[in-house]
Amino acid sequence: MLIYALKRLGLAVLVAVVVSALAFLLLRASGDVAIALAGEGARNEDIENIRRIYGLDRPLVVQYLDWAAKMARGDFGTSLFFKTDVHALVLEKLPTTALLALFSLIFALAVSLPLGILAALYPNSWIDRLCLALAVIGQALPSFFFALILMIVFAVMLRWLPVSGSDSWAHFVLPTVVLGYYIAPAIMRLVRAGMIEVLASDYVRTARAKGLSSRSVVLKHALRNALVPVVALSAVQLGFLLGGSVVIETVFALDGLGYLAYQSITHKDLPVTQAIVTLLSLIYVGLTLAADLANAWLDPRIRVGGGS
Amino acid sequence: MSRFSTGVLTAAVAAMVAVAPALADKKTNSIRFAYDQVVENVDPYMNNVRIGVIIGQQVWDTLIYRDPKTSEYKGQLATAWKWLDDKTLELDLRKGVKFHNGAEFTADDVVYTLNFVVSPDSKVVTRQNVAWIDRAEKIDAYKVRIICKEPFPAAIEYLAGPVVIHPHEYYAKVGPQGMNEKPVGSGPYRISEHSVGKFVRMERNPDYFKDSPKPQPKIEKVEIRFIPDRQTQVAEMMAGGADMIMNVALDQATQMKAVPTLQVVSGETMRIAFLHLDTREATTAPPLRDLKVRQAIMHAIDRESMVKQIVGQGARVLNTLCFPPQFGCSDEGAPRYSYDPAKAKALLAEAGFKDGFDIDLYAYRERNQTEAMIGYLRAVGIRANLRFMQYAAMREANRAGKAAMLHQTWGSFSVNDVSASTPVYYKFGPDDVSRDPEVRDFLQRGDSQVDPAVRKEAYRKALALIAERAYSLPLYSLTTYYVANKDLAFIAYPDEIPRFWEMSYK
Amino acid sequence: MTDVAAIPVLDLTTASSGALLRRRIMAHRGLLIGTGLLTLIILVALLAPLLAPHDPYAQDLSRRMIPPIWYEKGNWAHLLGTDNLGRDYLSRVLYGAQISLLIGVSVMVISGLIGTALGLAAGFFGGRVDMIVTFFITVRLALPLILVALAVVATVGGSLWVVILVLGLLKWDRFAVVMRAATQQVRVLDYVAAAEAAGASTLRVIVGEVLPNLLPQLVVVATVEAASAILLEAALSFLGLGVQPPLPSWGLMIAEAKTYMFFSFWLIAIPGTALAVLVFAVNMVGDGIRDVSAPGGRG
Repeated sequence: MLIYALKRLGLAVLVAVVVSALAFLLLRASGDVAIALAGEGARNEDIENIRRIYGLDRPLVVQYLDWAAKMARGDFGTSLFFKTDVHALVLEKLPTTALLALFSLIFALAVSLPLGILAALYPNSWIDRLCLALAVIGQALPSFFFALILMIVFAVMLRWLPVSGSDSWAHFVLPTVVLGYYIAPAIMRLVRAGMIEVLASDYVRTARAKGLSSRSVVLKHALRNALVPVVALSAVQLGFLLGGSVVIETVFALDGLGYLAYQSITHKDLPVTQAIVTLLSLIYVGLTLAADLANAWLDPRIRVGGGS
Repeated sequence: MSRFSTGVLTAAVAAMVAVAPALADKKTNSIRFAYDQVVENVDPYMNNVRIGVIIGQQVWDTLIYRDPKTSEYKGQLATAWKWLDDKTLELDLRKGVKFHNGAEFTADDVVYTLNFVVSPDSKVVTRQNVAWIDRAEKIDAYKVRIICKEPFPAAIEYLAGPVVIHPHEYYAKVGPQGMNEKPVGSGPYRISEHSVGKFVRMERNPDYFKDSPKPQPKIEKVEIRFIPDRQTQVAEMMAGGADMIMNVALDQATQMKAVPTLQVVSGETMRIAFLHLDTREATTAPPLRDLKVRQAIMHAIDRESMVKQIVGQGARVLNTLCFPPQFGCSDEGAPRYSYDPAKAKALLAEAGFKDGFDIDLYAYRERNQTEAMIGYLRAVGIRANLRFMQYAAMREANRAGKAAMLHQTWGSFSVNDVSASTPVYYKFGPDDVSRDPEVRDFLQRGDSQVDPAVRKEAYRKALALIAERAYSLPLYSLTTYYVANKDLAFIAYPDEIPRFWEMSYK
Repeated sequence: MTDVAAIPVLDLTTASSGALLRRRIMAHRGLLIGTGLLTLIILVALLAPLLAPHDPYAQDLSRRMIPPIWYEKGNWAHLLGTDNLGRDYLSRVLYGAQISLLIGVSVMVISGLIGTALGLAAGFFGGRVDMIVTFFITVRLALPLILVALAVVATVGGSLWVVILVLGLLKWDRFAVVMRAATQQVRVLDYVAAAEAAGASTLRVIVGEVLPNLLPQLVVVATVEAASAILLEAALSFLGLGVQPPLPSWGLMIAEAKTYMFFSFWLIAIPGTALAVLVFAVNMVGDGIRDVSAPGGRG
């Protein structure tokens, strides 16, 4: 187990290094930041001045090494647009997005676990078909369109919930439902498939043969085994949620990391974009590492086989 | 979702809004204002966005004040001013004005602020607003002199606009960054909380000096919230979660007139729209070198219809590249290009482009207007391909000679003088992509002469030449639509600055 | 945003006989409905020039925002009304089918080629190749897709082909993961070993023996990816960084019509319905193929 864990850790570090280099290069290889900084009506000498002040006239490699060294020390640089410390800026926005991602995952699990189990217990029944329909139809609308419809109905017409902002738990309800709705089907499918497989397996049959009630078989034996891959998928989905909430944050003016990333992209605020992309990648790497280790712990076959 | 019938939805929304209780913010005497752009730093020298100008005018004062109704200059932090010579302006300062932190306003504040913002290392982003200043000198505690780099008659207008005064001790101590975190000015509102990228909360300044030309504020609290999506802003207005939004598109504004709890107010702005053409030798669109082609473009676009149908009430078609009420703006002697697609096609054929040509059209705002222009150009055979991007990126491409045709707009930083508009694009600056020395010389004369009649004549000639040689197509002035709580009393001014200090609930 | 792990790798060791397969297809209502709708949309896209009553780009500002025919103010000249520049909405929706299909199919082809090549190589050769490919996949998955896509489009400038290329170059991960796992299964089958023993070249074995066996999974992933590309384009358009007007992509039409949501709902409902039907149809086809090709029924 220790060797497996160390191997996975080594891989995670390597991925983190490559991803950070990619994030830097990909975003740095774009237009002239100095001009974006100079603003409306600036003159060429102003632009040169800004280029000098921000060190944008140095070679790319030097800029990258400088940046990476500073990142490692927790110094994310200064935002070109907000002119503030990127570290502080990102940390300020992270909780909103993290909360939203967590809420969405919980919502998705709360919906997809019972539905997936029911669908597996009664395959090809109406409930199974309903799950399939939800999964297929739910994915067919662009998320911003779905979000706006919910906003009109629940915030403007019924006035049950606030339209936008992030001041209270009520502000998180609509964004949570929208985001959760889009990841629920994947989890539901996995639960259903896993349950069907486990229910058909020998040891569940044995348990049944031993005279255990079907409820306890389902809950104690089948579910526990079917949940193993769900843990992994949930960790991965959480990573995706953190990076994929930009549209929903924009619609609901949630002011989290996603919206900050979008702002930084459109304003060519490279230090912020790079910091966010790198941070999200690192979180993803960390989550998958945790999920892998958890899985290996739950399911010894993985660590024997070496995993991928 | 197709079962959602429009009629039902509209009726339901209108009914819901109609029975909604009176908005809470009339009771608390506060305004919740939603805006789509965030301000990177509320220090007016450190941002170049409209909302920054708006906040700047609430929180800070300027030396001189221009009455938006009469265009008359009044003393604000200064009480009197006179030109000692072509380049030296002397100002008497007001006594007894206090900044929000209690510091007394004196000549030191003016001298420190101006000398700081003109120094090259101050990282000021609105440099063009102060580039004319050479230095400021203290004569005594309440008298200063501002020395211009060259004769600059529009100085008064700039001092009445973007050039605000900071408290010198505080500004020296905390710098622009500290000013952003805990802003201190002397204006009718003081900032109580600034959450970067989220909101700016302001409170009435109870000690605002009584002699200010800005009236004493009545509204207790103003919250400016940043809501990026327009549709979300509209939803907030309908749900009673906001009291005022601006820059609403014509169609939405028109439709929101039907909502009983809201009022829609429109007004022409100083912002002008134009098609900016790169006619230099190295242009990426060689057809634009031909005067006939440029004239064809002018004749192809139906500006009258655009103004009427998609720009909005109060906007006007322009014949020259400036905002008509600006000092020195005139279209006398400039040719008129009527909407005439047949003539446009004929001109194109004469120029050797019988089958039209392909061109990239760059734009950064009012995309529906750009789209309409693309439609008109397409009708005469010019296949324009839209390249929509952020302002800075578009300007960069244009300056580098990569973008030959721009749907550009210019708001003159609310400065009511032609020196703040036309010369930016035709005086051999980085945005001048025509480089006509004759035009430049007329503009230079207009900018630096002191006699108003001489200035006007020089500008008139420059503007007529630009129009005659069709270097850019002046389109129209833009309109801003405000949607607000129906009980809020306010006036829409052409400078796109809502004046919260003037507003009140009925 | 579904994860790769959510797509079960089919057990290919049991092949269905042709007749059985046909019977299963005919009995699978979802697949039939999906195929029918998809065929209809493809036909509409191909025949758009014949079907469209007007030039989808011809504008008339004096005839803007005419509602569809089922409203009182509707006009027979414009069955689905006109948009905010007075362009015939029916014609734009018909031509929009071309653009949306083009996006879905092109992204699918680009990402499919990259992902399948990587996945096949990893699964077939194993060892070091597998390690490198797995590393690539991990790196790609770690990058937040939509943010990277936004950053690239913001830099290069949005246009139809930029959007297609960016999405195509980013979305190959699922292909790679599924193809890798499936290849590993097929690799050990007897006839692959037999072909190799018979002296067939590696390329020949991969293309001739391995690939045909992976087709069902490939098609399933392809449908999921095509649908997701169409939706992603709509999301990019919402943020202003998708394809550019006046191109009538359904995603862009939805994004542009959202400002009319309160008072002219039909403007967003029409392209919204079209897009939803397309994505629904593509998903149904994918699900259907998954079902009929898997011996154990739906998985």
